[in-house]
Amino acid sequence: MANDNKPLLSVRNLKTYFFQDEGTVKAVDSATFDVYPGKTLGIVGESGCGKSVTAQSILRIVDQPGRIVEGTITLTRADGSQVELTGLHPDSEQIRAIRGAEIGLVFQEPMTSFSPVHTVGNQIVEAIRLHCAVGEKEARQRGIEALRSVGIPNPERRIDEYAFELSGGLRQRAMIAVALSCDPRLLIADEPTTALDVTTQAQILDLLRELQKERGMAIMLITHNLGVIAEMADDVVVMYLGRVVEEGSVDDIFHNPKHPYTKALLHSIPSIESTPRIKLPTITGSIPHPYNRPSGCPFYPRCEAYMPGTCDAQEPALLAVDERQKVSCFLYQDR
Amino acid sequence: MSNNHQVLLDVKNLRKFFPIRRGVLQKVVGHVRAVDDVTFYINQGETLSLVGESGCGKTTTARCILRAYDPSAGQVFFRAEDGQVMDVAALPANQLQPLRRQMQMIFQDPFSSLNPRMTLLDIVGEPLLVHGEKAAHKRTERVAELLRLVGLRPEYMRRYPHAFSGGQRQRIGIARALALNPRLVVADEPVSALDVSVQAQILNLMLELQEKLGLTYLFVAHDLSVVKHISERVAVMYVGRIVEMAPTKELFYAPRHPYTEALMSAVPKPDPRLRSERIVLQGEVADPANPPPGCYFHPRCRYATDVCHEKTPVQEEITPRHFVSCHRAKEISLRGVVKK
Repeated sequence: MANDNKPLLSVRNLKTYFFQDEGTVKAVDSATFDVYPGKTLGIVGESGCGKSVTAQSILRIVDQPGRIVEGTITLTRADGSQVELTGLHPDSEQIRAIRGAEIGLVFQEPMTSFSPVHTVGNQIVEAIRLHCAVGEKEARQRGIEALRSVGIPNPERRIDEYAFELSGGLRQRAMIAVALSCDPRLLIADEPTTALDVTTQAQILDLLRELQKERGMAIMLITHNLGVIAEMADDVVVMYLGRVVEEGSVDDIFHNPKHPYTKALLHSIPSIESTPRIKLPTITGSIPHPYNRPSGCPFYPRCEAYMPGTCDAQEPALLAVDERQKVSCFLYQDR
Repeated sequence: MSNNHQVLLDVKNLRKFFPIRRGVLQKVVGHVRAVDDVTFYINQGETLSLVGESGCGKTTTARCILRAYDPSAGQVFFRAEDGQVMDVAALPANQLQPLRRQMQMIFQDPFSSLNPRMTLLDIVGEPLLVHGEKAAHKRTERVAELLRLVGLRPEYMRRYPHAFSGGQRQRIGIARALALNPRLVVADEPVSALDVSVQAQILNLMLELQEKLGLTYLFVAHDLSVVKHISERVAVMYVGRIVEMAPTKELFYAPRHPYTEALMSAVPKPDPRLRSERIVLQGEVADPANPPPGCYFHPRCRYATDVCHEKTPVQEEITPRHFVSCHRAKEISLRGVVKK
């Protein structure tokens, strides 16, 4: 990706595995990408592709028995210094100062991510007081401002309500307010609109875009919805079974896709623009169970361009096809 | 579709109100107007979709038709196999069983809708057993046939649901729904729990089965892209009412209700070159327990005038088969989906 400024977050060769009695699940298997300030990186993939575990790895909140086994995650801090997140202990002072302050997180489920027994205000104030040296009163004032900035009407009253008193859309706005209360430079949004209706989704996406313009923060947007990616992202990473299969600018991914999986995925989605009642091209089979992951390229059993003896024998590397686009497929490289 | 436009299902002024109870005495203090005066029909062999956002009453409507809920008011006329038309809403519960053979349901969640302790043979064979097929070998035969029909191998029939993926489980659910040769299949969000790459497979299967077996679908969904793909006609619901109903192409390319326009414009298009001016609706969906006066959509409608605050619009057929409930439907010109 041609970009002059330095990446804010740089993930190299990240591997996060879950070690279980039944075997090892390679949830993320060598993911590599960069997030730039003020830009939106979209990470797209179906269930089990490792997109959420990637986000958890960056924040170092991977649940047991998961572990980062390899790779580096480098964050450039506000003062220009660089931190290697994989080298930090998950409970250390340092990572806790980054989590929530430099990197904000918005989850999918606005209902379950709020505590049901504390008011929304309680939870915002907690985040603010943890990261900024301010008193109770000042924190509450900032909390009200945060709620106002995400478009919640009547924030002075809403701050004392519980999460269940808010509608889905308002709850997600409150979630974003918590994530943004300490002015993070990177916002990780993990399926931020999946649980919402389309008209509410449009409101939230608009809000994220506005906030980004205002504050110049980077957004890492994780979703399975290609429509949301097309609307929001500047650059896109396509993942399949823990691997990055393709990476490029949003225009290239949608108009000049290279990897057979990206192509098939784009063809198989019913679009609001397509003709009604025609047969859709499909991707045969289903996503393999993580315990019996195919050898070689993980997509070869479902791939139309499968080359016996090559695709099932070795794993393709993610290589550049031109200066903006990278793809991990033997069709585009010398074997 | 070749059919003689015989009406299979005719729903008239259907209402379902749920009481809100409060206090020690559980006094009724109000009603949630989940379905509020809904009228539509489905022809034999046709697919009609009910589309709308959560809480708009689409699932409740479907359940009232199957008598999973007892409607509060209105009629549901169903043309039975022998040509006799009956009002499902008025039938006493003990006379429903023969009708239930002819109306079946496909559920949203393929994980919770299949009993994990039953084999495929038991799951798909159960409707047969309930409806009087006592001979085990005949049931086995029929189950094998059904599994083949939905694209599963009959050898799998002794396995349990956990051995199958989401898409395969949804196929099992479809096989169970088809076991009794129903004429009406109500599909409530049948693909929304599936991965995108698997959705297309299930939609194709449903189209194929419809052609093969002459099924009639009532398809309930929130995803407009999916709805556009499967339906011949679409009814858009908002707070318990149908605001617009039209043949699919007409509805998408030339909507006449402001809510339909906004809903379609809100769908993110999978093409970054189409990042267009979206209509972002302000505010929230009205509360069905306490709806605004007049047209329920008026607080969010950018075309609303005084009359919309006061009078409830009536459903009008403005062109053949295109029904709209909007005071201003004839004056305003709305933007549909761009034809490709």
